Amino acid sequence: MSIKKSTKTARGTVQCENTNINLLKANDYVADIIRSEMSKNKTLLINITSSAGSGKTTLMQKTAEKLKDKLTMAVMVGDLETERDAERIRKTGIQALQIVTGGICHLEAQMIHQVLPEYKLADIDLLFIENVGNLVCPASFDLGEDYRVTLMATTEGDDKPKKYPRMFLTSDMMLISKCDLLPYLPFSVDAVTKDAREVNHELEVIQISALNGEGIDEWCDWLLKKVKEKQNS
Amino acid sequence: MHETSIVNSIMKTLEMEFEQEKLDKMKTIFLKVGKLSNIEPRLLHNAYTAKYPCGTKYHQVKLNIESTEIKIQCKFCNHITQIKNYRFLCEKCKKPSKNLIQGEEMLIHKVEFDD
Repeated sequence: MSIKKSTKTARGTVQCENTNINLLKANDYVADIIRSEMSKNKTLLINITSSAGSGKTTLMQKTAEKLKDKLTMAVMVGDLETERDAERIRKTGIQALQIVTGGICHLEAQMIHQVLPEYKLADIDLLFIENVGNLVCPASFDLGEDYRVTLMATTEGDDKPKKYPRMFLTSDMMLISKCDLLPYLPFSVDAVTKDAREVNHELEVIQISALNGEGIDEWCDWLLKKVKEKQNS
Repeated sequence: MHETSIVNSIMKTLEMEFEQEKLDKMKTIFLKVGKLSNIEPRLLHNAYTAKYPCGTKYHQVKLNIESTEIKIQCKFCNHITQIKNYRFLCEKCKKPSKNLIQGEEMLIHKVEFDD
């Protein structure tokens, strides 16, 4: 990682002409390294974001059960503390490593890059990053992913896309989770979809329930299609 | 926690860009942050002071934070719309668009150094 440093000498009050340096340049630089690593190995990288408790880990378990005979899948999961989520995912028989952020509310590209050597990328078709449960800061950090998928549980209320616009703007897919609870909740799928598409008109939407299996086939088909596209790229 | 990460990123980025000798003479960092960037200027100031309290090397450096509006440019009619209420719609031809030209950025757009 060598970056050319400016050798200009400071004279008087120097204004660095047109210094439009992205504040997250250091992060984005590492994200690009991850991206090229993924291209080389033809591994599809998906960044899963959501609020805490919307069902990311359960979705990972369900997806692993459905897809583990069709492809090689692995997960890295970020949390502030504990190894609990990685343990849950490992029970389904796939590789899962925990990134403990120690209080940091999002994952940064550097953290992903650090654990990458633990994975045999050449053998992995699909790698998930289960981000820290938070709809705010994870939106700002590129992790080198091919697609960003945001989960939104019906229990969260249907007003989230306008409250956290950046997350929905930067996502490719919104999964409405816990749809088995729809009969009991004042949650409108139409309203949430309309709001989300006002922010991002290209956003794909699937309704799922990890409990009764609704939408899981559609979700897995989408993944298989994207894995195939990556492998043919 | 987010803001402290941002402060770390600012310094990491500047250390990548400039020699230490020059950074020691740094006076003001001018940031441009879009309304979509999830950065709250006041909290960023607080995080900066917490990270560089009295006696630390970048303590005297001032942060100047400018907040910018969200703007899109329509790909059909080229019209530029300032977004209100997060409706990403061209105000002229009413077509949806996510062709952001402003509002998402987090930029260090100027750095001032002392003589």
